Amino acid sequence: MPASTVSQKRVKLRINPAYFILIPASLIALLPFIWMILSSFKTLKEIRQIPPTFVPQEFTLDNYKKVLDDPDLPLGIFYRNSAIIAIANVIQVLFTSSLFGYIFAKFEFKGKKVLFWFVLALMMIPHQMTMIPGYLILAKLGLINKLVGLIIPAAIDAFGIFLFRQFALSIPNELLDAARVDGAGEFYIYRRIVLPQLGPALATFGMLTFMFNWNAYLWPLIVLTEKNVRTLPIILTWFSNQQVDKTNLTMAASVLVILPVLLVFLLVQKWIVEGITLSGLKG
Amino acid sequence: MTARSQDKNSGRFFRGRNAAEKRFLAGTISPLVLYLAFWTIFPLLWGITLAFFDYSPRQTGGFLGFGEGNPFVGLQHFENMLNFSADAPLEVQQFHIGIRVTLLFAALVVPLNLLITVPLAFLIESVNGKAKGIFRTIFFLPVLAPSVGVAIMWGFIFHPQRGLLNAIIGQFTGRLVGTAWLRDSSLTVWGIPVALFAIIIAYLWQDMGYNLVIFIAALQGIPQSIKDAARIDGANWLQMFVRIIIPLLMPTILLAAILTMISAFQVFDIVQVMTEGGPDDQTQVLLLNIYSYAFRYQKMGWAAAVSIVMFLVVLSISFVQTRLLRSEWEY
Repeated sequence: MPASTVSQKRVKLRINPAYFILIPASLIALLPFIWMILSSFKTLKEIRQIPPTFVPQEFTLDNYKKVLDDPDLPLGIFYRNSAIIAIANVIQVLFTSSLFGYIFAKFEFKGKKVLFWFVLALMMIPHQMTMIPGYLILAKLGLINKLVGLIIPAAIDAFGIFLFRQFALSIPNELLDAARVDGAGEFYIYRRIVLPQLGPALATFGMLTFMFNWNAYLWPLIVLTEKNVRTLPIILTWFSNQQVDKTNLTMAASVLVILPVLLVFLLVQKWIVEGITLSGLKG
Repeated sequence: MTARSQDKNSGRFFRGRNAAEKRFLAGTISPLVLYLAFWTIFPLLWGITLAFFDYSPRQTGGFLGFGEGNPFVGLQHFENMLNFSADAPLEVQQFHIGIRVTLLFAALVVPLNLLITVPLAFLIESVNGKAKGIFRTIFFLPVLAPSVGVAIMWGFIFHPQRGLLNAIIGQFTGRLVGTAWLRDSSLTVWGIPVALFAIIIAYLWQDMGYNLVIFIAALQGIPQSIKDAARIDGANWLQMFVRIIIPLLMPTILLAAILTMISAFQVFDIVQVMTEGGPDDQTQVLLLNIYSYAFRYQKMGWAAAVSIVMFLVVLSISFVQTRLLRSEWEY
């Protein structure tokens, strides 16, 4: 009996200090979200009030109605634009990364070393280095203000190729050989044998790529200058600049843009965390 | 090591490959090479060439717009960057501001980030079971949000009249506070603009989650036997943290520091939305500077030259990073 009280005490002493810091810290971490959500339910009068309130005194859904009915802000179109770009880029990047990762891992061909070295070098080139000529090329091709302008130049992800090569190395040669003996074509082997083996990596890297594309700002800002082709992050800043004074509307729009996808990301958080810890990749 | 030996195996394995394999390789590798040539090598070379011309898309010129209205200027852009006199052209002064602000930003962000995330990861890892997952999720949440949304949220928090920060300060002091955190260029702490601090807070709030999950994963990799041994020897949590955890985490901390520094050098979204570089250029980071000169003032030659300088800085950091990565690989 005394032994157990001692150990219980020790457990408590070990845990309590951590909670003492973690709980207030997590409240501070959540505060901006809470403040955004609470403010989106305030009336304009209350938003203008000095000093401001924290919890809305008069709870209203008007801001959401106004934002959703605003003919200048067809959110559905911007959601669609963002989705088209993000989904298309995830599909093509997963395809090219897994295919070329597999080829670099399992095939020998002339110039392989040089090409792989080049892919590795690409990983180190920051995007702003090709930002200006990239824009000029798109302009020459007439792809400015077209969604494909954000898709075509994004087909190859050097880091993806590198990552999938690492995974493909562990696929046993016997497996591929057996399929060849059975008369399977090379592309069939990639699709039916290699891809399933890369399943978890596809999920992890796919989620990460989707997130980076969905939240991207600078490059879409340069390429998509016309309003109706814009993506959600760009339209959100545009809207908030329009509504300088009506912060309640800006907050409602922010909630509508941020929260739905944030909740989806939260559900697949495990994969995203895995992707980051696996690769050290940053947005 | 394993990678290399497997490479050799596969080489031997496929040396006598048949026509189908050759066709497969030709059908995949040649589009890859063509694609890379057009979408990466070509723009890279074009971008480098731009830096030696006084190029603006408004002017007309010969091949790719070079020549005529966009004359060749040689190294003049780079020479101008070294002009530190007070009567230097505006873009040169702006470039110097950009370098200074970006270095200051990175120099503050990296240590602050690590000072928060390493202990926080240790605390989260020390909590058991379900609570651990909940805390990790809470601190990771901002990573998932678009940085533009983060900037709008924090811009509202720092709002002089309607902002949460002034309201909280007002609660404590019992007075009305109307500090314009993002607009008042006269506010400085230890010579550092307060607006830059405000940006750093928003940036850290969003960026912390990355390093946090990296450190949590690294902590989980530390064998329980080491922690148990330390505990049996009577180490308290502080000794454990300083003497055991920090040294074991050191390779991860170094790596995280470099990754954090590289992304801090390329900060754009939050600054552009929260302050647009103001007040009085106090938050004019380099990438914002490049963006403005290339796409607002259309001085793309100059902006390309600045991009090259920025690239060289980031490249040298990446170089150190790969060195570290390689040494860690062997470990």
